Amino acid sequence: MATATAAPQRRRSPTEPATKWGVPHFRIVHWAFAGPAAALFVFFFAYPLGASLYQSFTSDDGGVQTWAGLAQYRRMLHDPVFWKSLWNTGLLLVFQVPLMIGLALVLACVLNQSWLRFKGTWRIAFFLPSVTMLVAYAVVFRVLLKTDGGMVNQALGWFGVSPVDWLNNPVWARVALIGTITWRWTGYNAVILLAGLQAIPKEQYEAAAIDGAGAVTTFRKVVIPQLRPVILFCSITSTIGTLQLFDENFVLTKGGPDNATMTPVLYLYKVGFDQMDFSYASAIAWAVVLIIGVLSVIQFRFFGQSDRAASTARSERRRG
Amino acid sequence: MSMRTSRRSVLRAGVGALAVAVTGGCATGGGKKTPAPTVKTGAQAQVGGSITVWSWDVAAKALKRLAPAFEQQHPGVKVNVVDIGYDNAYDKITVGLKSGAGLPDVLQVEGPKMQSYIGTFPSGFYDLSTLAGPLKSQFNAAAWATGTDTAGKVYALPWDIGPCGVFYRIDIFQQAGVDPASIQTWDDYVAAGVQIKAKTGKKLLVMDPTGDSTFPMMLQQEGQGYFVDGKIAVDTPAALKAMGVLKELSDKGLVDFEKGWDALVAATKDGKVATTPTAVWWSGTLTDEMPELKGKFGAIPLPAFTAGGVRTSNNGGSLLNISAQSKNSATAWAFIQFCLANADNQVSMLKNEGIFPAFEPALSDPYITGPQDYYGGQTTFKTFADLAEDIAPVEYTGDYSKAGDLVTDATNSVLQGGKDPKSALDSAAQQIASATGRQIAQ
Repeated sequence: MATATAAPQRRRSPTEPATKWGVPHFRIVHWAFAGPAAALFVFFFAYPLGASLYQSFTSDDGGVQTWAGLAQYRRMLHDPVFWKSLWNTGLLLVFQVPLMIGLALVLACVLNQSWLRFKGTWRIAFFLPSVTMLVAYAVVFRVLLKTDGGMVNQALGWFGVSPVDWLNNPVWARVALIGTITWRWTGYNAVILLAGLQAIPKEQYEAAAIDGAGAVTTFRKVVIPQLRPVILFCSITSTIGTLQLFDENFVLTKGGPDNATMTPVLYLYKVGFDQMDFSYASAIAWAVVLIIGVLSVIQFRFFGQSDRAASTARSERRRG
Repeated sequence: MSMRTSRRSVLRAGVGALAVAVTGGCATGGGKKTPAPTVKTGAQAQVGGSITVWSWDVAAKALKRLAPAFEQQHPGVKVNVVDIGYDNAYDKITVGLKSGAGLPDVLQVEGPKMQSYIGTFPSGFYDLSTLAGPLKSQFNAAAWATGTDTAGKVYALPWDIGPCGVFYRIDIFQQAGVDPASIQTWDDYVAAGVQIKAKTGKKLLVMDPTGDSTFPMMLQQEGQGYFVDGKIAVDTPAALKAMGVLKELSDKGLVDFEKGWDALVAATKDGKVATTPTAVWWSGTLTDEMPELKGKFGAIPLPAFTAGGVRTSNNGGSLLNISAQSKNSATAWAFIQFCLANADNQVSMLKNEGIFPAFEPALSDPYITGPQDYYGGQTTFKTFADLAEDIAPVEYTGDYSKAGDLVTDATNSVLQGGKDPKSALDSAAQQIASATGRQIAQ
C-alpha cells in the first residue's frame, strides 16, 4: 500500500482543525460529498431556470429561436387575458385567503379547547382534505356542482332554491372555485395554527386572567400577537398557493367561463402547450415569480415588523 | 382520435407538464433552420426491424388490429402501437418535438394541430413529398391540405376526415311537427329550434364553451378559416354571420351548455337536445354509447347560410406522420402506406372503429354506399361521403392553436358574457395580431 512507504506522518490530534492540514485534499472530499447534490441542482434547477429566463427574451419563428429582447414582456402588458388572470388571482387573494385563514383560526381555537372530546379524530378529519389528490377532489367537486342533478343543487332544491349554474356562470364559477379551495386548505391551515396555539405558555393565559382580561381581550392581546409568525407563514403559503393555482380551475372550469377563473399559471400552461408559444409562456412564468417575490417581501415587512414590535413589547413587559 | 376535440379533461401529467412549461424545457440553442429529413428510397429502403407508433382511443385500436397483417407481409418486422391517450397526447408530442428526444417513429396528429406543428417545428417531421406526392389525387383535398405546408411540402398522410352534418332525433322532430327536410338554412334551423322548444321543451343543441367547434365549423362552411392569405380573418363578414347565428341560438334559449366530452354525450343520451351538428365520426359515439336509441337518429346536411349554399364542413380528422427522430423511416412509411392508402384497410377501420376514410377509393365500397341498420335503413354514410366532396379546404397556419384559443374566448364572451359579436371578434383579431405578429385582413 502506498501509505506504508510514505514518509512518517505527524499524527493529527482529534481537536486540531482540519483546515490546517491538506486543504486541497479536503476540498476534493467536500466536493465528493456535495457534488451529486450540486450536480442535481445545476441540471434540474439552475439550468432550466436560466434556460427559461433566456427563453423569455426570445421568440419562436417557424422553429427558429431568435432574440427578441423585451418583446414578450411588452406583449404581456397588452394582453387582456393575462390581466384578467391577475385580476382573478387578486379577487382570490382578497376574498378567499382571509376567509380561509379566519375560518382556520376559529377552527384551531375550537380544536384547542380543553372540553373538546375526540380531538385527534377532529384534527385528522379537518386535515384530510389537504392530502387528497388534487385532481381527484376537483373531479368530485365537478360532480357535486353539476347544474342538473348535482348534489349541491339537489340540496338547494329542498329549500326551494332553483338550480344554480355553478360552473357556467362567471360569478358562480368564482364562488365555486373559492368554496373548493377553502374546503381543501382550511383544515391544513387550522392544524398549523393549532400547533402555534399550543406553543403559547399557559402562564400567559393565567396572567391575563389575573389581570382581569375577558375571552375577547385575551384573544386580541395574547393569542393574536403570539400567533403572528404562524399567521404570517399561513398567509404567505396561501398567497403563493393562490398565485400558482392550476389544478382546481383546470379540472373544474378550464379557466372559463369567459376566463372568469383563469389564473396566470393555467394561462401559461395554455400558452405553452395549447398554443406552443414557449417564449411567451416563460415570460409569464417569470412575471409570476416576480409577483410572488414582491408579495412575499411585502407580507414579511408588514407582519415581520409588527412581530418584532410585539416581541420587543413582550421582552419589555418581562423586564418591567 | 379526431372525435375528441373537445375532451381535454383530466390531465394527469398536468403538474409535470407545468414544471416543464415553467422551466421552459431545454430548448435554448438553435437559431439555424435545419431542413426536414427525407425518407430513404430505392436500394437503401430496407423494410425491417421494429417501429413504434403513438396513437389514442379507437385510432390506436385500429392500428393494433392492422399491425399483425403488416408484420405478416414483412417478416421480421415488429410494429409496436402505443395508446398514449388523448388527454395528454399533445403534451407528450409537443415536449418531444421541443426537446428533440423521446418521440417514436410514427405519430398520429389531428389536422389543425398538424398545421400548428408544421409551423412551429418544421424540421420535426420527415418530408414525405416525393413518396406521398403521387398519392395526392386519391385523397380528399381538404384533408390533404392539413398535412402540407404553404409551399406544398408533404409532412403527413391523411387518415380520416369529418364531413359535417346534423344528427337529429326523429321522435322529437315528429313530436314537434318539424320536417327535417325543411331545414335548408341556419334561419330555418333556428326556427325549427324555437318550435321544438315550444312543443317539447327540449333544447336544440349542446355547446361546450371550453372547446367550441361549432363556430369554426360554420366558418369553414363559408369557405374560410381563421386565416386568409396568412392574414387574420376572424372578424370578417363571414365570421360575424356565423357568430350572429350562435348568438341567436343562445339568446333564444336553444343551447344547452355542457363542459367536456362526457357531458356532451350524456346530454344526447338523455335526450336533452334534439340535434347535434357535427362530423360523421359522431356516428361511432352514437352506436357505441347509445345502442338503445337505434332507429331514433337521422342525419341531414348542415343548414346553409343562404339557400343553395354549401352544406358541409370538416371537423376533426387525423393524419399519420414520421417523426424526425425515427431511425427506421422506411419501415414507418411502409406501415403508414399500408394502413391509409389502402381501400380495404380504410373500410375495415370505418366498420370496426368508426373512422371515416379520407382515401377516396374507399368511399365507393358497398359498406359506405349501402343502408345503415342503426339509422333505420337510411344510407347515412353515403350522405356524408357525398358531403365530403364539398368540404372547402381552409388555411390553418402555424398559429392556428393560438387563434383557436382566442376565438374560443371570444365565443364565450358573446354566448355567456353577453358581449356584442362585432366587438368580441374585433378584439380577438387584435389579440391574435399581437400574439402572432400577423396582419388583420381587411
